[in-house]
Amino acid sequence: MNEVLIYSDKPSLAAELVGFAREEEHDVTIVTFSPEEASELVGCGASKVVLLDGDSDIPENNARALAGLIDEWGVSLFAVGATPRGRDLAARVAGYLGCGMASDVSAVHLLDGKLSTERLMYGGAMVRSEEFSTPVVVTIPSGRFEAVRGVDSPLETIVIQPDMRVHLVEREPLSQEGADLSCAPRIVSVGMGVSKREDMALIEGLAAALDARIGCTRGIAEERGWVPAEQYVGISGVSVAPDLYLSVGVSGQVQHMVGVRDAKVIVAIDKNEKAPIFREADFGIVGDLYAVVPLLTDALVTAR
Amino acid sequence: MATIVACYKWVLDEEDLVINPDRSIDVSHARGKISEFDKSAIEATMQVAAQTGDATATLTFGTPDVRKSLKDALSRGPATGYWVGDAAACDADALVTSQVLASAIRTIDGTSLVICAEGASDTYARQIAPRVGALLDWPTVTSVIEMKVEGDSITATRKLDGCLETVTVNRPCVIAVLPAGYEPPIPGLKAVLSAGKKPLHELGIAELGCDPAPAAKVLSSQGFIANRRNVIFVDGDASDKVTSLVSALKKEGMLS
Ligand SMILES: Cc1cc2nc3c(=O)[nH]c(=O)nc-3n(C[C@H](O)[C@H](O)[C@H](O)COP(=O)(O)OP(=O)(O)OC[C@H]3O[C@@H](n4cnc5c(N)ncnc54)[C@H](O)[C@@H]3O)c2cc1C
Repeated sequence: MNEVLIYSDKPSLAAELVGFAREEEHDVTIVTFSPEEASELVGCGASKVVLLDGDSDIPENNARALAGLIDEWGVSLFAVGATPRGRDLAARVAGYLGCGMASDVSAVHLLDGKLSTERLMYGGAMVRSEEFSTPVVVTIPSGRFEAVRGVDSPLETIVIQPDMRVHLVEREPLSQEGADLSCAPRIVSVGMGVSKREDMALIEGLAAALDARIGCTRGIAEERGWVPAEQYVGISGVSVAPDLYLSVGVSGQVQHMVGVRDAKVIVAIDKNEKAPIFREADFGIVGDLYAVVPLLTDALVTAR
Repeated sequence: MATIVACYKWVLDEEDLVINPDRSIDVSHARGKISEFDKSAIEATMQVAAQTGDATATLTFGTPDVRKSLKDALSRGPATGYWVGDAAACDADALVTSQVLASAIRTIDGTSLVICAEGASDTYARQIAPRVGALLDWPTVTSVIEMKVEGDSITATRKLDGCLETVTVNRPCVIAVLPAGYEPPIPGLKAVLSAGKKPLHELGIAELGCDPAPAAKVLSSQGFIANRRNVIFVDGDASDKVTSLVSALKKEGMLS
């Protein structure tokens, strides 16, 4: 029985996916391409861990061989951690198998040979429910399921033939200089309405007055590079759930707002009364941030 | 001469979607647009072709309406526009779309490089490039922010979680680019005018031998409605509005 097969290049996420399979009482096997990860994964509660030994430095290079095994083993669901590598490998496997795939699901159930999923569309404006017959592939982001710990599962090694047409030249770690916003109780978020880099001092002053962390929109991190990429909020960035989310010069496009849906109170400062952010805010000030932010910072320092 | 093909999707502009109070979605006012990130795929195609002198083309699969996208696509530089317009695109999932695109690519003579974006702004499923690569059995490199092409050899830099990875691969291959590396310029008037004269090739699903049956069965689609208080201070001078906001936040217990 190979009901559910799991892979993630992040072992902690693989463990969460085992949590999903166990919650629904499926038989579950983890595959990995790395001996180090294999020894870490044996304690995660799967029926077994299979080390696919192919001697490639790039996990995605194993997709074709893995698709062959999934077919041979009669796997119903191949569940993959939704990381850049995971999504790539998962979609390649689905391509080789010619089967359906649900990406980055927010809900997932496997019952009677049918997979039902929910996922966001249009950057979060829409929730779509879908159903697939098996075999099927799914990618699941972290934070959806609780990892389980179990007695050590047996480890099996299978030699596979990776696709060596993509060669690794070098890998350079990106410094994780960004702050972790996922647990921050207060966030001041900066958008493209802040026009010059030196004006970030205004935002930092406001954040200090509130004892808040700084978040931002995609453009501030990816185009302007004023805030580390780990701190941009939204569908392709992080999701946050602070008590207070105060945005400055953020228009409130859905791709950003989907990341703050769990905030308790949302406050917006924007000069455009028609900006969509005001429809999704609890409180707001329509005004020029350059006039409002210094006054607000002073008032907060006095109030606290 | 080799050809570089940029794939793009014609999507509804998400800003035009209207969510009804019962959470159903009204798309009747929604205009079409080339998915933002796909403009970067077209731009990457033009940048690579400037290095190699290869021919360039765009390829899209959509409803018959997708024909309207070709002028915008070609105003971004590519020489030829291939399109598959079929009502089946309404229900197509990534399984169907990737089969249509891969089959179309096989018919475009001399295609040695296919460039896609990571994902489209409607589904953002990020499946197409790896699936097309698998169907063609070509090597695929995703999350690319930079490429150097010399003859058939490509050196690409990928931006992944926590690392930059440099890889080499030979053509033919499929590349998915991130928008960061390939900011699309706004086409000039001359480019827009000449786009109307570029050759177009329509391809049919049947002639490509593709099965239009999706694997995903859509059960429901519901709009998201934010349930917030919307207390917005509009009138008065800045200090009045700040005073109102601070007292509101105090009442909420946000300042203790
Ligand atoms: C597939 C996809 C995924 C995406 N993922 C994300 C994501 O994860 N996160 C994300 O943030 N974005 C994402 N985006 C981009 C998103 O659609 C928006 O473009 C982006 O969030 C807008 O950023 P912004 O609000 O900073 O800028 P803008 O939309 O340019 O808004 C700037 C705002 O500042 C206001 N302003 C200007 N000057 C002043 C002033 N002096 N005082 C006060 N207000 C002022 C303006 O009125 C405006 O409302 C994604 C897009 C796509 C297509």
